[in-house]
Amino acid sequence: MSIKRKVLHFFPTRVAHAVQSPLAKYVLRRLLYLIPLFFGILILVFVATRLAGDPVKLMTGLNPRITAEARERLTQYYGLDQPLYYQFAKFLWELFQGNLGNSYALRGGTPVTTLIGDYAWETFKLQLAALFFSLVIAIPIGVMSARRQYSKLDVSVTTTSLVGTCIPIFYMGIVTILIFSYFLGWFPYGQAHSLEPSRYPFGSYTLDELWHLALPTAVLTFATLAPVVLLVRSSMLEILRQDYILAARASGLSERTVVYKHALRNALIPVVTYVGLYFGGMLAGAPITETVFNWPGVGRLYVEATAKLDFPLIMGITVFITLMVLVANLITDITYAYIDPRIRIE
Amino acid sequence: MKIRKSKKNVPVRQAETKQKKGVSQWSIAWRRFKKNKAALAGLVIIGAIVFMAIFSPLIARYPLNYLASLKEEGKIRMPPSARYIFGTDYVGRDVFSQIVYGAGNVLYVGFGAAAIAMSLAIVIGLISGYIGGIVDNLLMRITEIFLVIPFLLILLVFLKVATTLAPSGVGGLSTVTLMIGLFSWAANARIIRGEVLRVKQNEYIEASMSLGASKWRIMFRHVLPNVLHVVIVLTTLQIATAILVEAAVSFLGFGDPNSITWGQQLQGASEAVKEAWWEGVFPGLFITLLVLGFSLLGNGLRDALDPRLRE
Repeated sequence: MSIKRKVLHFFPTRVAHAVQSPLAKYVLRRLLYLIPLFFGILILVFVATRLAGDPVKLMTGLNPRITAEARERLTQYYGLDQPLYYQFAKFLWELFQGNLGNSYALRGGTPVTTLIGDYAWETFKLQLAALFFSLVIAIPIGVMSARRQYSKLDVSVTTTSLVGTCIPIFYMGIVTILIFSYFLGWFPYGQAHSLEPSRYPFGSYTLDELWHLALPTAVLTFATLAPVVLLVRSSMLEILRQDYILAARASGLSERTVVYKHALRNALIPVVTYVGLYFGGMLAGAPITETVFNWPGVGRLYVEATAKLDFPLIMGITVFITLMVLVANLITDITYAYIDPRIRIE
Repeated sequence: MKIRKSKKNVPVRQAETKQKKGVSQWSIAWRRFKKNKAALAGLVIIGAIVFMAIFSPLIARYPLNYLASLKEEGKIRMPPSARYIFGTDYVGRDVFSQIVYGAGNVLYVGFGAAAIAMSLAIVIGLISGYIGGIVDNLLMRITEIFLVIPFLLILLVFLKVATTLAPSGVGGLSTVTLMIGLFSWAANARIIRGEVLRVKQNEYIEASMSLGASKWRIMFRHVLPNVLHVVIVLTTLQIATAILVEAAVSFLGFGDPNSITWGQQLQGASEAVKEAWWEGVFPGLFITLLVLGFSLLGNGLRDALDPRLRE
């Protein structure tokens, strides 16, 4: 027995099937397509930032004592006097060395990689919590709703979900802050931590973290919840109409087994795609939620960088987000092909 | 004689057209649509807000951007009262009047952005689906770029560009509309392409081809009318999305500062949610209502127009 076969021996047959060469070829083909896509997006955003305005003018505009000469020196220092193709080539060269440059404005020229590292974790925490809660809540509700189509429960679930998709997330954020933070005073407003340790509830850092996390998570959960509920419901309705469900029922299986074992597993396939795409976009953050809650995340950082024309920071976050999205996409495609036996990789 | 003849002809012709109309797709759809109370409610909401936008000078209690409570009482952020039913904002403007004036701008962005997005989506979807091959492959790869990337962030950069480069004569709101339109066609194009692929299988397309009709003629004369029901539904939902995106963009401070929209009002309100809740709560309520109106209408149209759902 070769090593490969020995390893494969431990996995169920379907995994063994997928690990063999067609998948490798498939991944390679996807990668070949993703690479030009990645650079295409970089070029697009790079040119756009350079057209968006002059950061030096923006930085010095309010200071009357700065001379034209000083401005010119600053422009030279940032390399903005160079031709566009040269700037882009320099950016790429540094990118390959893992250097994304220094931020113009934030914390006096901190390296962009450090900034992203600091902010990404907060975004990740918030998004993961929201994704977890929305899936845990949405899947049972969607299933129940589909099982009793057109019942009172179903109608109220679909109506609430529809209204949920119509409320702007920042509006929901503002109202939530208003009610739970200002009027009731149950939760703190803004930031991810209390500024002074003396404010920690029971002196615990973790509790403080969770306490700050509660409101933004609730809002983001509600925003992600509605589409997932509708997705699970419609997918479940479709599956319950299939012949094999009828066959399962006819063979005398209990309703529970039919719904949760035979139907749900198939109904969750589109949900996997949704989660996959969401996962990629996740690190882009929810710029709006983060801004409303003054949350120190990547999304808010990007909004600030764009407003301040902080070129290296805009480009750095774009690189980061694009990479995450593309990798998540690739993983989703592979998972999809693996869990859905109808899809075969040629 | 002549008169009698024409008199005789008229009812016959009318009867013919009536009979034709009786079986047309659209009247069936309308009959089904009328039964859908939620969709009708959506239509009523949209109608009310369109009415508000058209007759805004008559409905509003104060002139546009008039610093009502500041000039008359020397105060800003006054709570709701009989005089200012939704209170006044951070410079003393009547919130209700500003909402009324904003309606037109909000609808302009919604319809404008949806028109741009859908035109692009129709052309790309038709070409990609009908011609197929390399063209399809290329167009779909481009579409994927727009689908995959979290477009709100990139949109912000482009809005910044647009406001920098746009000549001062061009309205800022039009630039915002254009940008939102240019960034929201991708998902629609993909759905339309799918529908085109389905319609392409029909015999009448083959018949038209064998009669020697050109590709473009078939695409726009035979394929397009048969995917129109999908286009109508997508357009309605796209208007709702565009309104939401404009509100979000304005809230983040990338909208047009010179036009009053409900998103702009919310941005001004966000600084003092605690002191003046009325400043943001009411404009937000109107955004939700209008978006809900278009969503209900879109869902109603989908049920009414889908040829697969026949009673």
